[in-house]
Amino acid sequence: MTDNKNLFRITEERRRVLLIEDDFVCQEMMKESIGDTYDVVIAESGEEALDIIHEQHDTLSMILLDLNLPGIKGLDVLSRIKSDPEYSRLPVIVMTSDNEAEVECLSLGAMDFIPKPYPASKVILARILRTVELYEDRETLRMTERDQLTGLYNKEFFYRYAVQLDLYHKDEPTDAILFDVNHFHTYNDRYGKVRGNEILKRIANNAMSYVKESGGIVCRSGADTFMLYCRHLDDYQALLDRLSADLDDGGSGENRVRLRMGVYVNADKTVDIERRFDRAKMAADTSRDRLTDPVGFFDHSMREAEILEEQLIDDFHAAIREKQFVVYYQPKYNVKQDRPFLCSAEALVRWKHPTLGLVSPGTFIPLFEKNGLIQELDYYVWSQASSQICDWKTRLNVSLPVSVNVSRIDLYDPELMDKLLNIAKKNGLRPEDLLLEITESAYTEKTDQIVTRVKNLRECGFRIEMDDFGSGYSSLSMLSRMPIDALKLDIQFIRSAFKEQKDTRLLEAMTGLARSFGVPTIAEGVETAEQFTELKAMGCDIIQGYYFSRPLPADEFEKFFAKEYEEENLC
Amino acid sequence: MLTIGKLKEFGADVDTGLSRCANNEELYIRLAGITVQELSSGALGKAIEEGDLDSAFQIAHKLKGGVTNLALMPIAEPLCELTELLRNKTPGNYETLYAEVIRRTNDLSSV
Repeated sequence: MTDNKNLFRITEERRRVLLIEDDFVCQEMMKESIGDTYDVVIAESGEEALDIIHEQHDTLSMILLDLNLPGIKGLDVLSRIKSDPEYSRLPVIVMTSDNEAEVECLSLGAMDFIPKPYPASKVILARILRTVELYEDRETLRMTERDQLTGLYNKEFFYRYAVQLDLYHKDEPTDAILFDVNHFHTYNDRYGKVRGNEILKRIANNAMSYVKESGGIVCRSGADTFMLYCRHLDDYQALLDRLSADLDDGGSGENRVRLRMGVYVNADKTVDIERRFDRAKMAADTSRDRLTDPVGFFDHSMREAEILEEQLIDDFHAAIREKQFVVYYQPKYNVKQDRPFLCSAEALVRWKHPTLGLVSPGTFIPLFEKNGLIQELDYYVWSQASSQICDWKTRLNVSLPVSVNVSRIDLYDPELMDKLLNIAKKNGLRPEDLLLEITESAYTEKTDQIVTRVKNLRECGFRIEMDDFGSGYSSLSMLSRMPIDALKLDIQFIRSAFKEQKDTRLLEAMTGLARSFGVPTIAEGVETAEQFTELKAMGCDIIQGYYFSRPLPADEFEKFFAKEYEEENLC
Repeated sequence: MLTIGKLKEFGADVDTGLSRCANNEELYIRLAGITVQELSSGALGKAIEEGDLDSAFQIAHKLKGGVTNLALMPIAEPLCELTELLRNKTPGNYETLYAEVIRRTNDLSSV
């Protein structure tokens, strides 16, 4: 059976009031006035009161203080309470018949007065109830508006106070600034959370010292992220230096903790305060890892780019469903013989967006690579390209292999092989009808796992072309282990080799390397007759680029078949 | 034995005094009795007689708290005057004022 008198609920606990009063009549009257609502603890002298406060301050809700006490006087008691950080938050109501003492008591921190002789009991109770309520609200606010570690505002209250600052300073140019610690999680991992917290507190103190001096407000908005709203500045590096002061440990002078900062200069006050700091965050993101230039600035192209990215992500699934992604084909020509002949094509995706028009793959591919949607897009392209190969086989009796991109994330998919085999089977294709282009950089992480997966694909009959060769970090020893059927030179090599200061030595070395590994070389991005002639002379096997044709929709691509038929090259 | 009627007859502002005791008549009468006892104890007179004005002020101030809160107006008047003289140590006829306080206290006791 539960004892109703002891429910162990905080709401059931009676608040405790310390009454510091030496007169018995006054004590009894006060107990009668408030005793039904509060537990009244009595101290008859200043000394006794200070002892009780020292021992019980955690459970006291307020103090009623008579000024005229034996021993330590009431004003001294008040002064001692308010000068001790541990007790100073306790609300004190002074009881006195001396009106002239009010100013001094208020300046010492008293919250209210009860005159003597007392007002009616109900008036006393109402005043005390109100004072306790205000005190508890203030405490709740203090606990919730501040970050417990640093004592700075938290994000929600920071935004609220920033808006208030705007109301008072409508025409004052202001900056929204966000700063954080570069790779703070690694600092925590290396030196421990205690030192990590110490660093955060130092940064907070530096920031507080700045706003005390120069105005503005600051908060800790996340683990190691701080936000500062202040008057427009000229020298952001000086601010960053000040925020970074004394962060190095052990007096080594080596500052291992580096801050980076994003600034939305002269922030537009018609924009929500949260959005202003989103922009500061965007700016800060541009300065990540830029140790020599750790301050980034917001400009509107960042926001436009972000909005576009969000739209593309939102529209992605509808685009797949409605087949807005269109696969184009660019021919690849074998140039080993005198007369080049069509040997395959590369499937390249284009997005015909219903409102944005043709969206460049340079815009959406890196975005989808970043958020993983590329896996769905790759699958879509594999399916479309396979269906097209099948269509050409059945309708035109043409068997042309098509290369498709396989992204790094696809290689971690344990079902990759099944997916590719199912697509091939569904379209009546052999695995060798699909050439899989895998970028060189995909091999640089978890190399063994990737090499094994690619080997398995080859064993199933798929042919592998290493894309962007030369852009990654393959060592020669690693190259010999890689299961590949062709090396496709990075387009940047072609471009830079044929600049004004022509220098094709690197291209020659790479084609020589491919030859020594016994795999054909593919050059893409070939645009001119000069490039074609020289690459052919270097021993390049397959050439792709505007020299032959731009990427074309499937129906337009078919003209190449007719041409090859005429020249009897295509089976 | 004090009663509400006797206190009223003496001239106490009983309604005000009671309002400070949450209208608890029993408490009011008890506190009035304790105050009369303290007034009659002679402690204040002794301190005045010995010229210990600090102690006299402390005692007078404490008594004043009870008397004024209970609204024992006839006693409050000379007692407040005496307390202020003692607070400021203003030279004056403390004994006369004290005698008046005691006389009025006796009046209350004899009602």
